Amino acid sequence: MLQAEDIHFCIRQRPIVKKASISVNPGEILAVLGPNGAGKSTLFKILAGEISCTRGQVDYNGQNLKALKTHQLASVRAVMPQHSTVSFPFTAREVVELGLPKDSKRNSERNIREVMELTKVVHLEDRLYQQLSGGEKQRVQLARVLIQIWEKKPFPRYLLLDEPTSSLDISQQHIVLDILKKLKSQNIGVLIVLHDLNLAAHYADRIAIVKDGLIAGFGKVEEVYSETLLSEVFDHPIRLVRDQETQQILVSSNSKFHSDLKISKQAQA
Amino acid sequence: MIAGIPISKNSYQALVLSVLGIALVLIMLLSLSLGAYAIPFSSVLAILGEQFGLSLEGVDRSAANVLLQIRLPRIIITLLIGGGLGIAGAALQGLFRNPLVEPGLIGVSSGSALFAVVFIVLVPGLVSGSLIQNLGMPLFAFLGGLTHVWAVYQLARTQGRTDTATLILAGVAINALAGALIGLTLFFADDSALRSFTFWSLGDLGASSWGKFPVAIALIGIPSIMLMLEYRNLNALSLGEREAFHMGISVQRVKIKTLILSALIVGVGVSLAGMIGFVGLVVPHLIRIGFGANHRLVLPASFLLGAILLNVADLMARTVVSPAELPIGVLTALIGAPFFIYLIFKLNKINS
Repeated sequence: MLQAEDIHFCIRQRPIVKKASISVNPGEILAVLGPNGAGKSTLFKILAGEISCTRGQVDYNGQNLKALKTHQLASVRAVMPQHSTVSFPFTAREVVELGLPKDSKRNSERNIREVMELTKVVHLEDRLYQQLSGGEKQRVQLARVLIQIWEKKPFPRYLLLDEPTSSLDISQQHIVLDILKKLKSQNIGVLIVLHDLNLAAHYADRIAIVKDGLIAGFGKVEEVYSETLLSEVFDHPIRLVRDQETQQILVSSNSKFHSDLKISKQAQA
Repeated sequence: MIAGIPISKNSYQALVLSVLGIALVLIMLLSLSLGAYAIPFSSVLAILGEQFGLSLEGVDRSAANVLLQIRLPRIIITLLIGGGLGIAGAALQGLFRNPLVEPGLIGVSSGSALFAVVFIVLVPGLVSGSLIQNLGMPLFAFLGGLTHVWAVYQLARTQGRTDTATLILAGVAINALAGALIGLTLFFADDSALRSFTFWSLGDLGASSWGKFPVAIALIGIPSIMLMLEYRNLNALSLGEREAFHMGISVQRVKIKTLILSALIVGVGVSLAGMIGFVGLVVPHLIRIGFGANHRLVLPASFLLGAILLNVADLMARTVVSPAELPIGVLTALIGAPFFIYLIFKLNKINS
């Protein structure tokens, strides 16, 4: 389990994250939601090990993050930042190969093939990364990140993603999240920072809502998603409806639909 | 890759390196033969063969002396300096994640030059080939290159990232400062030191001798090999410093190692042959355009191509106005500067 307990982080005496506790189980997708400036990115960086928290502690499979060396950490967690640029003319396949861990000589060919198939980038392998479209680039990066934790290991691994879908169109967003869903069977725990409440409701097993550096809500979608909490956290009127066909929660942020929603709720009742 | 031919990556890299290696050997043989004192190609082979125990008839003693005592050390030192500049350029470009980085641009060369000039002025009798001469000046130049690249790097770094625009500006500032300090040092120099400086500053491989070989092989050759072994880390860095850290690389250690090795190579090169510009910029570029960006290939291939180009330039410098010699730095700048301008235009087009 990836567990963060009571973590706290300040920039110039101003707390960005205060007393936040969060955990990711292997085999689940945890979505982190919250308005801009809520401390999501800082929380993400603390979990990834980029910055260390002022108080509290982060454990990967029971081992303290601070006690892990850079390369040991890399074997239990992979990180996909929001935007990654590649500064030289690498081909898509070469970018994926960059992610190979140092000690993985034996099955590397098969592993590369598997992640590239999963992320649907096999046909792009000889193209230059810099010439790919936004969605293709993001999938190549995902493959590059996945290869780091692809080799089966006796301990669970974690994948942290920071708004990987923010610049993608709607079908590309679903492609990326569908890929993440398939990782559950690999004993990989996924933590993903998202902006799209609907996407989170659809794919996440659990949700953490961050507001002002605090965890305002943490649990299953049904437990966390409430109109009052979401409206308050995002400072915007938010309504929840059920999709008539799939019975999934849909989030509407357009207050004009207010009366329509009431009608649909009455209809359900 | 070569179109249509299924060829594994390792053998592709081996192929590229062998072709470059063969080209290097050929250009070296050509350089041995051509010059103010022409030695026929067959004699070159005979003289070289003799060194390896093959006794062949008709070896001309004076030709053998020119070849073994004058040309061969010069060509080998040229190989090391050219190769060193090529690989240092490739490594620095990889470290700074910027294809416009060049040892001359970010202050390594001028820093080395400043310290070398201070050494020339303060330690008189440059012509004497004593140990302190052969070892002192390169190490002094290395210190200069290292302090300057460190200063530029620190100036350009904000919150753990290296901003390219600041980097280039810091390089310009440091270069200007070093230039001014070189001028100031020369103001206090005597005539003989001035003369040594003039020849040295334009790039001068003519003073190469076997006496300088141990320094060159130890302080350029070995660091170059150590840089080649950094290919995996530099590859990871081309994704970004954050990403490299996520992938388990100790970014700070890689940076320090690469900076020290590059400064050592360039500083020693500058002290041996003066400022030779543009090799470190042009060579890695040509390799990337031709054979891809993987540092596993870019680093050794840049070494080989740098060695080839500098030997070609030196051959031209020796032969074009024979029996006089053009300064090599003038020649590389004449070819390199227009290429640099072309590169800026091309990058502008890509970015817009």
